[in-house]
Amino acid sequence: MAGGSVSECKEYLFKVLVIGELGVGKTSIIKRYVHQLFSQHYRATIGVDFALKVLHWDSKTLVRLQLWDIAGQERFGNMTRVYYKEAVGAFVVFDITRGSTFEAVSKWKHDLDSKVKLANGNPIPSVLLANKCDQKKDGSNNSSLMDNFCKEAGFLGWFETSAKDNINVDEAARFLVENILLNDKGLSYEENNGDKIKLDQQTVPAESKPGCC
Amino acid sequence: MAAEDLPSQFDVVILGTGLTESVIAAACSRVGQSVLHLDRRNYYAGNWASFTFNGLLSWIEEYKNQQEVQIAESEQVWRSLIDEGEDVMPLTSVDSTISNLEVFSYASEEEEKDETKTPLTSCQPVNAETESEETKGGSTEGQDTCTGDDATESNGKTQNEEHQEQHTSEIAEPSQSQDEKEPQPISSPADPPVEVEKKITYQKLLKEGRRFNIDLVSKLMYSRGALVDLLIKSNVSRYAEFKNISRILTCRNGKVEQVPCSRADVFASKQLTVVEKRMLMKFLTFCLDFEQHPEEYQDYSEKPFSEFLKSKKLTENLQDFILHSIAMVTQQTLTEEGLKATQHFLRCLGRYGNTPFLFPLYGLGEIPQCFCRMCAVFGGIYCLRHSVQCLVVDKGSNKVKAVIDTRGQKIGCSHFVVEDSYIRDEQRQSTAYRQISRAVLITDRSVLPSESDQQISLVTIPPVGSSAPAVRMVELCSSSMTCMPGTYLVHLTCSSSGTAQEDLAPVVSQLFDVPAIPGEEPSGGSEERSKPAVLWVMYFNMRDTSAQDSSGYSLPSNVHVCTGPDSGLGSNYSIKLAESVFHHLLPDEDFCPPAPNPEDIIYDGDGPQAEGSGFDESNNTEEDKSQAEEEKSPSTESSEPAEMDSVTQETPLDTSPPSEE
Ligand SMILES: Nc1nc2c(ncn2[C@@H]2O[C@H](COP(=O)(O)OP(=O)(O)OP(=O)(O)O)[C@@H](O)[C@H]2O)c(=O)[nH]1
Ligand SMILES: [Mg+2]
Repeated sequence: MAGGSVSECKEYLFKVLVIGELGVGKTSIIKRYVHQLFSQHYRATIGVDFALKVLHWDSKTLVRLQLWDIAGQERFGNMTRVYYKEAVGAFVVFDITRGSTFEAVSKWKHDLDSKVKLANGNPIPSVLLANKCDQKKDGSNNSSLMDNFCKEAGFLGWFETSAKDNINVDEAARFLVENILLNDKGLSYEENNGDKIKLDQQTVPAESKPGCC
Repeated sequence: MAAEDLPSQFDVVILGTGLTESVIAAACSRVGQSVLHLDRRNYYAGNWASFTFNGLLSWIEEYKNQQEVQIAESEQVWRSLIDEGEDVMPLTSVDSTISNLEVFSYASEEEEKDETKTPLTSCQPVNAETESEETKGGSTEGQDTCTGDDATESNGKTQNEEHQEQHTSEIAEPSQSQDEKEPQPISSPADPPVEVEKKITYQKLLKEGRRFNIDLVSKLMYSRGALVDLLIKSNVSRYAEFKNISRILTCRNGKVEQVPCSRADVFASKQLTVVEKRMLMKFLTFCLDFEQHPEEYQDYSEKPFSEFLKSKKLTENLQDFILHSIAMVTQQTLTEEGLKATQHFLRCLGRYGNTPFLFPLYGLGEIPQCFCRMCAVFGGIYCLRHSVQCLVVDKGSNKVKAVIDTRGQKIGCSHFVVEDSYIRDEQRQSTAYRQISRAVLITDRSVLPSESDQQISLVTIPPVGSSAPAVRMVELCSSSMTCMPGTYLVHLTCSSSGTAQEDLAPVVSQLFDVPAIPGEEPSGGSEERSKPAVLWVMYFNMRDTSAQDSSGYSLPSNVHVCTGPDSGLGSNYSIKLAESVFHHLLPDEDFCPPAPNPEDIIYDGDGPQAEGSGFDESNNTEEDKSQAEEEKSPSTESSEPAEMDSVTQETPLDTSPPSEE
């Protein structure tokens, strides 16, 4: 990862979770957002934890957004702590053409809030996505119902999205990032303990002599 | 989250999510095997798990309840699923690996923030009702959400508390009294600091419970051990972060002191004389490449290391350090093994810090989950609270063909990997087990306070008598993300000779201030006490099956048993076992080759269907860097786009969405 090359530029790395029932379009939304692609016959990419989107938020802010899809098949709702750990935001997705996926939203939200919190104990900011809105049949408008639902369930807000027709995906992401940035200015996500160690091939000293003798 | 049928065939079905099984799962999935990974618990990692404080209370409840529950197995279900030429081999649904569990709470039962000292009521055994209420997700979450709604007030409060906790081990500053803005009457600001000092109540432990990550198994990672090597090799390391163990302590004649182990330590040591320093350095230098000097130890190859140390004319002081704290072996260990252990210790020094050990942030229980995540990322399917009732064995070949899960589904598999505790006694040659004795303590300060209150210490406690076991203690500070600020989490471990409490309570009372009556506070403020106070303690025994090998079970040839955690300090045993099971399963495959880095992955578009032209971004976003560098070859051969493609899968829902409306 490149350090801030522009001296004044502040760089953020945000981990955002994308959760929801089977087939609601989580992967499609991520692919649309990150790769500007949509496929009807989507094949799950195996071996990828997250997709990375780099946002030049403003002249002074660079945001690297890691979008964590539910891995291949942790879809039975048994995600590891590794998945939730240190996430700072989440999208909960449902499919407007399948009522049961909306009913499961509360369950997902509850699960989310029980597994990850901000350092101050508050839930992480989350946004509800009503996906596949390109398939909306009637022109009915339940937006006030949805507003109420979000308020009660603790979502910051909701968007009707379509990964297929590229509707509101960027807007929803922008809205979430705005809120994450607000949080980030107010408080740090974790006690800063500087001497954390990451293990990887690069940081291993090539030939480190034992400290003794 | 929907309950639905699983696919009917897998290459490998794995039961149990402990370290060994999880490594095998990741390794199999990584090389393209289809893996179904199950656990009867509702949490990952089995006996390797770590829990929040509230989660641990639930676990304790579950343990108590399981003592009573008898699950009636319904043979009828199996019969209908069994074909001609098939036999059924049932597994056990009862986990009996934990025993002699005892819990004592000494934290004040007072309302939080109530500073007045009132007589206390006994709180042992810990009240079951309050616990389970607290710990069942719902009510806790409810509470937390309330806190969140009430943002301004509670935020302020939390911050104040945290601020205060950081000071608990120092002398309280007068300014702290102004943090107390509670409506209730509080003690006068003019009180002496000791009185104002923040007390950790039981309520507080519950409220801050999520800050704890309490491991059932206490181990450290040798910086050049098999686990660290595997984490690095496989890239699973990216899921975790670590802390260095900052010091090694030992307890001699009731006194806790630091063990000098690095060159710098030896020279800085105040306990050692100049002569001792020279002797120790000379000896350790020899150990680093002892194989080069066989003449030095040849005469002792059949004799204990302890005698060899004596022969080296080391002072008793130094013999103790080397035997118990550096080699960490017993009086009986043979010389060569002792030398090897000393050498391993020395070689691990300085890789990441000036002790040989690392500890994962959030606890050891993270590690199995990291491997599970890797398995899932490569397509492994995970179901918790989901087990296997029985194996379907082909009579002809004596191989497992399928398993029948706890939902009555018959799932075909070529291999079955299972954690030892799921095996029935009928399938064992012997049911005599070794045991591990464990104690877990929450304390109010370190056993050896120093300038920094954020130390992670390994404390070796030599056996008191010749028959008593050597006890290993790990003291974790809050920055290890395993306990709330202002507390320490202490793990004691030894091979059992009696129950955990019999084995470890004497050590606990030697090193800590334990009130005679549970529920009673330790006498005096912490300024007067010479030892840290125990706020909460749990004792239990865990079965140690590590001595078993495959000949100890009568099972079909394609069933591979993984024994549970051993009593050793490192995890070499479990990693080596995983590797050997893997090679048994897939002799020609690479064990855990590096997984590609997500940031290096080139997205393999879906061909003709993709509408790749839509670069109509309205905001100032930019394409993923990795996409721009389309042809950049990933750092590892395994992340070649071609291979990524070969392991992609059809999504079951890609054509017809289920009609659920
Ligand atoms: N019409 C329409 N179809 C969509 C939309 N988003 C996704 N789909 C389709 O819905 C199906 C499922 O989409 P995925 O992106 O695989 O859904 P998912 O949530 O990742 O599914 P799992 O990973 O299996 O849980 C695919 O056939 C997509 O093409 C959308 O906005 N409109
Ligand atoms: Mg998907």
